[in-house]
Amino acid sequence: MSDARGHALGLKGLTKRYGEFTAVEDVSLEVGQGEFLTLLGPSGSGKTTILMAVAGFVAPSAGAILLDGRDITPLPPEKRNFGMVFQGYALFPHMTVAENIAFPLRVRGLSRADRDAKVRAALDLVQLATFAERLPRQLSGGQQQRVALARALVFDPALLLLDEPLSALDKKLRAELQEELKALHRRVGRTFVNVTHDQEEALSLSDRIAILNHGRLVQQGAPGLLYERPRTRFVADFLGKSNFLEGTVVEAAAGGFALDSGVSVRLPDGAAPPPAGSRSLLSLRPEKVALLAEGEAADNVAEGRILSWSYLGAGFALRVATERLGEIRASLPSWQAAIAPAEGLPVRLGWSAEAAVPVEEDAA
Amino acid sequence: MDGTYRPGPAGRGLAWATALYLVLPILIVVPVALTDQRFLSLPKDGLSLQHFRTVLASPEWLGSIWQSFTIAVAATVLSVVAGTLCAIGCWRISRRATELIRVLMLLPLIIPSIVYAIGLYRYFGALDLLDRFMGVVIAHGVTGIPYVVITVSTALAAFDPRLEQAARGMGASLTQTLRWVILPRIAPGIFSGAIFAFIHSWDELVMVLFIASRDVFTLPRRIWDGINENLDPAMAAVAVLLILFTLLLLLADRALRRRTEGG
Repeated sequence: MSDARGHALGLKGLTKRYGEFTAVEDVSLEVGQGEFLTLLGPSGSGKTTILMAVAGFVAPSAGAILLDGRDITPLPPEKRNFGMVFQGYALFPHMTVAENIAFPLRVRGLSRADRDAKVRAALDLVQLATFAERLPRQLSGGQQQRVALARALVFDPALLLLDEPLSALDKKLRAELQEELKALHRRVGRTFVNVTHDQEEALSLSDRIAILNHGRLVQQGAPGLLYERPRTRFVADFLGKSNFLEGTVVEAAAGGFALDSGVSVRLPDGAAPPPAGSRSLLSLRPEKVALLAEGEAADNVAEGRILSWSYLGAGFALRVATERLGEIRASLPSWQAAIAPAEGLPVRLGWSAEAAVPVEEDAA
Repeated sequence: MDGTYRPGPAGRGLAWATALYLVLPILIVVPVALTDQRFLSLPKDGLSLQHFRTVLASPEWLGSIWQSFTIAVAATVLSVVAGTLCAIGCWRISRRATELIRVLMLLPLIIPSIVYAIGLYRYFGALDLLDRFMGVVIAHGVTGIPYVVITVSTALAAFDPRLEQAARGMGASLTQTLRWVILPRIAPGIFSGAIFAFIHSWDELVMVLFIASRDVFTLPRRIWDGINENLDPAMAAVAVLLILFTLLLLLADRALRRRTEGG
């Protein structure tokens, strides 16, 4: 693995139609050198189609794919020099681990000595040096995943494409490999493009996330930004959990506004408030809702009764029926819970004016 | 086998009867081959290997065995190359039309070989392939294709298409992918097809009766003539040798499959 810097990938108006069905519609994206970008979306959102178009397995109906500004749309996959980790890994079952990793080098006609040296380095990179002579079926899922990574990186590819690389693993192993993958990305300094439907994976791995729905790019940005300032109801709902509060704007000023339901919202600097009289939709994260003690004050207060609750170890998840705002979900850290939750118990919920974020209703 | 139904006495009896029905006619030639009599019969006073000796010392029998063997090898090569390429082609293109081609390839199995033989007889006369080594090889090779198409198509159906994508993604050309990824994965299917194609040619009689007469005289043809002309127990001895040889091929096929599936 040389210290070559990553390459930049660009998508310009990428569109893919299958007959009447549009799988990807007019997606434009820039992935910077050495960046870790995740395409996140539910199944059928077009994220895998985009990845396959970048890899060259799917020919776009319109638009272009650029590598460092050069149009590579017409190039077949074998000419693109991209590493790819397939869903289920696609290791060659009749080859040993070392032979699998040597495959892209053999294809390029490298001498046996060069091949052996690079394979050894790649095996070290993924900490599998002692498994070189095993067959893929003799490895665990996590080990197979690491072989697939080594094979995809051994030939110094311009890009690394990952198609749901962790989906076949159990939860604990997935968390471990997430950290490994992140560390690997830092070590090799290449451009990674990852596809997943797992929002936790996307949040923890990526420098930037592009959220897709129905083949369209809904929003892109750093994980923290997307989580804190979702642009639409879909983004707020798909990335984490959210309460949605609706109402008519009754007062609007430079720094914030209030709804007829009594909810007040403070906007970040520079954000324009919606005009008075318009309908507004707010996203409110359950972890930003607190349980207020007797007499405690907050920017926003809602009284209600607990509909149901569940204990999650680290916290409680409550569903509270409020009089003015309907059902509100709240998640509280266990150590802070001032009460023993019970169904029907009257509670007061409170949240600050910064907590609720105005979002757009999704385009139909 | 816990959790499955146990067979009742009727089912068990039927299964054994079927097995015996299949095996007995084959086994009957074994005592006949060992007869001490000079005509086709069961042994009377004791067992004798004299008929095996006759066969192995006769230039006619040995010549036919050798001729059958070389024809079968050449026909197998033809069937394997054509059948494998056809199966891979159909699998890669994979349209409605390729399904049709696959069915077309099975025609030699479906059409009675005597019908096929009449057709060959008419064409081969004009092509000067009658009573020629090449003529029999072509006839057997073509009719052996279905076995290869079936076994290779089955092997390809189990082939994960992502392996081909992975190979391409890593820069492999079509030839490299074929040689290093696809062929090794379907090799057991190709070998099975080869063994069946070989057996098909090895014991084929009907077409040979039509398209060969004197110069090409295969083993099944000699057995056929022997039965028509004299009832020499040497035929039974040849039959036993044939059975043993075929059995050996089938065991090789099994062993090969076991090695690739397990392990």
